[in-house]
Amino acid sequence: MQVLARAGDALMSFEAELTAATYRRIRAPETGMVMVRGRAGGTGQAFNVGEMTVTRCVVRLDDGSTGYSYIAGRNKQHAELAALADAHLQGQEQERWMETLVRPLQRQQQHKRLQREADIAASKVNFFTMVRGD
Amino acid sequence: MNSQYLRPAFDNPVDSAQQGFRIALKAISEPGLSHDLGLVAELDSLAPATYALALTLLDSDTTVWLSPSLDTPAVRANLAFHCACPITGQVQEADFALLQASEAEFITLFNNGTDRDPELSCTALIQLGSLDGGQTTIWQGPGIETQREVALPVETVFWQNRQAVTKFPCGIDMYFIAGEQIMALPRSTQVNFQQEN
Repeated sequence: MQVLARAGDALMSFEAELTAATYRRIRAPETGMVMVRGRAGGTGQAFNVGEMTVTRCVVRLDDGSTGYSYIAGRNKQHAELAALADAHLQGQEQERWMETLVRPLQRQQQHKRLQREADIAASKVNFFTMVRGD
Repeated sequence: MNSQYLRPAFDNPVDSAQQGFRIALKAISEPGLSHDLGLVAELDSLAPATYALALTLLDSDTTVWLSPSLDTPAVRANLAFHCACPITGQVQEADFALLQASEAEFITLFNNGTDRDPELSCTALIQLGSLDGGQTTIWQGPGIETQREVALPVETVFWQNRQAVTKFPCGIDMYFIAGEQIMALPRSTQVNFQQEN
């Protein structure tokens, strides 16, 4: 789901395959807000960071598998395709979908992340503080 | 998971819920008149209008009680999914109750509010086979110019039980539902039997 939720426009290139099977929308894509909570340092008291926009969708394929998606932002098509992918992943052909859809997307996202980390690492500056000897 | 029971609800959630609310409001301001509420298909034991009212009125702040005859896994799953309403087994706790007219014995158990907070009483959604064909009753009160004759097919004990819980301002507001038709009976309406001449 993480891969699907992060896929964004990359999921659009799989649209034809994902929508090939007939399906019904149990909950049509809808946009709302969720409160993001955090803890300072990961251990402090929980506080509200702020609200973020999410879009959610639930679909059911004709074979009975139900797919759920929650994605950040307002892209309804992305939410629907992610839910469809989730439904396909619960069906008989799970391995095929993992191979053709999830793993390529995962590699792509990993590649992008590493590249960005490398870009940032190149601009790293170290600050040294001299110890005052008095 | 009970996802196999889930079904689509309103095609257009915002517009349909607004229309549903408008019709529910119109119905309860004109007791005894029937209105069309065909916004959604029926759901298992729930008639189309019952389901439409449920989708319109229920949310996470409203506790719902289902009568034994309407309590099915499909109804539970869909109400929980689409309305996110808590479903209770305690009749007294319910803000909304879904039942059939034949289950009139439950009416005396519903919360009918207190003198301080009469608005916290239960609202009953009552399913019937039709809204006509029973003993004629005379309805009078706010929203009715003089009087209105209504022939709901319910037992006499139903009216007795309603009388027992109605102590204005306390009381129970009711929606009668048959298929895609709804009719409302607020607590402020007096129901009398027709005098034999």
